[in-house]
Amino acid sequence: MTVSETATTEPSTTGDDVLVDVRGVKVHFPIKKGVIFDKVVGYVYAVDGVDLQIRRGETYGLVGESGCGKSTLGRAILNLETPTEGSVVFDGEDIASLSGERLRRKRKDIQMVFQDPMGSLDPRQSVESLLIEGMKAHGLAKDERSAAKRLRELLSAVGLPAAALKKYPHEFSGGQRQRIGIARALSVDPKLIVADEPVSALDVSVQAQVINLLEDLQEEFGLTYLVVAHDLAVVRHISDRIGVMYLGALVEEAEADDLYAQPLHPYTRALMSAVPVPDPLVEDRRERILLKGDLPSPANPPKGCRFHTRCPWRQETRCDTERPQLRVVEVAGAPESHRVACHWAEQIESGEIQAHEVTATLTEQTASGGEDDFVGPASVTEAL
Amino acid sequence: MTETIENVQTQANRNEALLSVRDLRVTFQRHGEKPFVAVDGVSFDVRPGETVGLVGESGCGKSVTSLAIMGLLPRRGVKVEGEVDFQGTDLLRQSDDQMRDRRGRDLGMIFQDPLSSLNPVVPIGVQVTEVLERHRGMSRKAATPVAREMLDKVGIPDPERRLKDYPHQLSGGMRQRALIAMALACQPRVLIADEPTTALDVTIQAQILALLKDLVEDTGTALVMITHDLGVVAGLCDRVNVLYGGKIVERGDRHPLFASPRHPYTVGLLGSIPRLDGTRGERLTPIPGSVSDNLPWDSACAFAPRCPNAIEVCREARPELLDDGGGRWLRCHNPVENPLEVTR
Ligand SMILES: Nc1ncnc2c1ncn2[C@@H]1O[C@H](COP(=O)(O)OP(=O)(O)O)[C@@H](O)[C@H]1O
Ligand SMILES: Nc1ncnc2c1ncn2[C@@H]1O[C@H](COP(=O)(O)OP(=O)(O)O)[C@@H](O)[C@H]1O
Ligand code: SF4
Ligand code: SF4
Ligand SMILES: [Mg+2]
Ligand SMILES: [Mg+2]
Repeated sequence: MTVSETATTEPSTTGDDVLVDVRGVKVHFPIKKGVIFDKVVGYVYAVDGVDLQIRRGETYGLVGESGCGKSTLGRAILNLETPTEGSVVFDGEDIASLSGERLRRKRKDIQMVFQDPMGSLDPRQSVESLLIEGMKAHGLAKDERSAAKRLRELLSAVGLPAAALKKYPHEFSGGQRQRIGIARALSVDPKLIVADEPVSALDVSVQAQVINLLEDLQEEFGLTYLVVAHDLAVVRHISDRIGVMYLGALVEEAEADDLYAQPLHPYTRALMSAVPVPDPLVEDRRERILLKGDLPSPANPPKGCRFHTRCPWRQETRCDTERPQLRVVEVAGAPESHRVACHWAEQIESGEIQAHEVTATLTEQTASGGEDDFVGPASVTEAL
Repeated sequence: MTETIENVQTQANRNEALLSVRDLRVTFQRHGEKPFVAVDGVSFDVRPGETVGLVGESGCGKSVTSLAIMGLLPRRGVKVEGEVDFQGTDLLRQSDDQMRDRRGRDLGMIFQDPLSSLNPVVPIGVQVTEVLERHRGMSRKAATPVAREMLDKVGIPDPERRLKDYPHQLSGGMRQRALIAMALACQPRVLIADEPTTALDVTIQAQILALLKDLVEDTGTALVMITHDLGVVAGLCDRVNVLYGGKIVERGDRHPLFASPRHPYTVGLLGSIPRLDGTRGERLTPIPGSVSDNLPWDSACAFAPRCPNAIEVCREARPELLDDGGGRWLRCHNPVENPLEVTR
């Protein structure tokens, strides 16, 4: 099965200020069945037509619920996932066209910071060896003295003592490990850092340390960030621009302040209304848009607007049949940089179209579409 | 050592309280290891229809507190001291059989991970009806329509069909609803929810929290809400207990506590959270260090190495939990006077 709907590519000038240019990217994972011959019985449409540009020196935040395709898109930008369709142009070069030495050099320019620092750091390597590896590979540690100097600088940049060099990852706390992960990403002097849920495994007090560190490093080294996270409050705090994803596609993109001041896509409205704010005065006054039913499976996304099964503003026409594209909307106060993928964004904003009841639909959970990544302590069936 | 002043002060409320936790202390004693005090003299009350929050970062003792109350800690290798008074009975002195009977009937519990609390090979409907049979003495036949009604009440669409579903066929949000249905099937007087929405997406979290709020309002069940998320607490809890290193360090009513947090740790937590409605570009004020820097509570304030307010005595004497005279309980030698001045 292939998708008949194609994402239109917004014409936009690829100026010098654009570091990453993502055009019509799709990443479809085949679902295979069968014992001897792997037969493809369907696809997980993890990323299904995304266009976005990341400008030099900015922080682009990609936000959305688990399974919406954020990480897959991030991996596609890193060339760790080959797009089924579309292209990623990094610093003027299509990364799919690169190979050998040129690919290796480009790889150095894009580094990744992961959610789970423990899982991404080899436990048998000391911090020194973790940090020096990439530097050596890319000729950044020419002699011992310059390497030692650079290591010291790196550690001090991420706020770790020099004594950390001789230690191993397990000897550090979660927050310190994340600092090591960041230092490793920095060690090869990258242009872009893709940070996938960089703080979601950390306690809030430590989260704030890492968020501040990322901000400081960006300023110091002129870095460009793509931050992928499910926590809208975190994303809004650190991003200049935000793209909201739902089931493999961007549904809204805007400057962080504009998005917060005037969310225009029904999903963004619901998402924003659901984020708890640590202030009872705000919480008591808030009107929540409670979505009903389950998130549909990305292996079987709804036709038309992907949000139509849960959208409180869904209309009889267009919503079920026509896939909305990201577009500039004609709403007072919404600048051109604010784009929304909803047929009725204007009418919803003006109040012409009102929210209505939604009948909840359930999504049959399968191995490929489900949320099976629970982490939790207790297992006490007997409790009940 | 007991927290005498608090004990005296709360005697008056004690009769109203449905559940009174007094000086709860849980020590893990693994063979060949140093004993580890996970919960260190925790006291709080829960009244009918009230939602009480236990909030704090991972490892501060929230789950161990709830498991101790429910009698779900293993007997071996764990020492549980203190008192958990439920309507005149000390739950810590009940037998395993007596506790099994109370769980479900008097006390319900919801966990973070609904999948591990549900039996994977038994349909949801059977699991709910079994609870009704066991704790409310219903026949299977009488229990089935009640089970269906429960699923409907917690917002599971098409409950008739879902009764036949196995847990893995439901999404995380629907499983959590099923678990809430089971916990509520017996109309427990007290419901303990341990991070019930932590594994869920935020839009699903909003659904579940709204559901819990409605249920508490409708049934008068007392809710103990355990979470690391101050945002969840702000919207849901009447009273809030902030835990650090196994001890309550600050307690207050929801509105005054958030309006003027006084314990440096509470102030630090609030300064660490990026707020959706915050001013962008404003820097967060993190708490320095990590819990591995903690001092032992025996002769110091555990938080002292990370505390911007620390003074000499903080490293020499343990602070006790005291009423500041205005209904705020603080465990601190040098609390924040005007929090607005200290949030640097
Ligand atoms: N290697 C893979 N093979 C098959 N399916 C995958 C693979 N990686 C991700 N997926 C699926 O693609 C969807 C998007 O995943 P992901 O990008 O990790 O989402 P997010 O990061 O937003 O939580 C999910 O349904 C996930 O199960
Ligand atoms: N079975 C156990 N054996 C030993 N230590 C434990 C056990 N369960 C919990 N702990 C420890 O007790 C402390 C409190 O844990 P817990 O109550 O689970 O924290 P949380 O506040 O995150 O729920 C932690 O330091 C934890 O490591
Ligand atoms: S296109 Fe229709 S279904 Fe989609 S978000 Fe807009 S109103 Fe809702
Ligand atoms: S007792 Fe001292 S160290 Fe502890 S929180 Fe209060 S001021 Fe800080
Ligand atoms: Mg992800
Ligand atoms: Mg816990």
